[in-house]
Amino acid sequence: MKALALILVVVFFVLGLLYALGVIQVFTSAGHGHHIKHLILFWGLAVLSLIWYRFQVNARN
Amino acid sequence: MTFAQALILALLQGVSELFPISSLGHTILVPALLHWTNIRRAGPTFLPFVVTLHLGTALALIVFYREAWWRIVRGVLRSIMSGKLSNDKDERLGWLLIVATIPVGLLGLFLQKRVQALFGSVEPVALFLMLNGLMMFLGEYLRRRQRRALGRVDKPIERLSWAQAVWVGFGESFALLPGISRSGAAMVAGLLSDLDHEDAARYSFMLATPVILAAALLKVPDLFAAGAHVALSEALTGGVVAGIAAYASVAFLTRYFRTNDLRPFGWYCLLFGAFCFTLARMGYIR
Repeated sequence: MKALALILVVVFFVLGLLYALGVIQVFTSAGHGHHIKHLILFWGLAVLSLIWYRFQVNARN
Repeated sequence: MTFAQALILALLQGVSELFPISSLGHTILVPALLHWTNIRRAGPTFLPFVVTLHLGTALALIVFYREAWWRIVRGVLRSIMSGKLSNDKDERLGWLLIVATIPVGLLGLFLQKRVQALFGSVEPVALFLMLNGLMMFLGEYLRRRQRRALGRVDKPIERLSWAQAVWVGFGESFALLPGISRSGAAMVAGLLSDLDHEDAARYSFMLATPVILAAALLKVPDLFAAGAHVALSEALTGGVVAGIAAYASVAFLTRYFRTNDLRPFGWYCLLFGAFCFTLARMGYIR
């Protein structure tokens, strides 16, 4: 689960960045441009995954 | 939109957001029934108006559950600072709410505009409202069957599993369909996860708070977009009226669900949905 949490941190961070830069346009209402709402959502999920990772590490210890 | 229409819409939003009868469905069906053809949902003043209605509703929920929210926020922050989960029930409730919000947030961001563009007219909304009624009857029936046949008993909110929290979040996501109630869908999912009616309602209202608040806050930048026009008196009065109506509704419903179930709302949705669908098919409303 620790590895999964870390993978999710990276995946969500990169996805947020790609939406913000306008590289990904999948499931966006405008179909073009920068998507700040997607950035906020995915970086929020990245932070939650990071907290989950920390819980996992401390639970082991 | 006239001032009287704004007040009626605000009252309707505040009440129907928390009663399990679909606020979005009612804000489409009621103006259609009253032949309010001057209200353009895509118009420049409507979006700011809707944002303040949602902010008013979310603030009412925060004020109503202020003590619980204070304990939950402290519990969640404590666990983040310490880096581990404890047995504190407020902390667990906080994390359950966060986990349940994830599917709602993801599906809302990706699908909301497409779904509402597809089904935002009177006939599909009336059909979904009837489906909402059936969903509540089915939820009550399945819950009774679970308890009779499988011997399952009620448990407090904080004993929900993580999977059940996600399941309730998915349940709430069905409210993307105009006519399906957010609180109704979340309550049915909560009832099927062994919550009693009072706890299922409380969980559904608390889960709705960050969702409504985030939806409103994410629309705030649109208020400053080119072409947006804020009719300040309508927006502010609407927000206050929606907030008062939401507070009164949540106060009533938390008492109501101590001893009652979802079936009266199921009947209402079935009958009102059928009535609107019939009128739409006959060409009386559009």
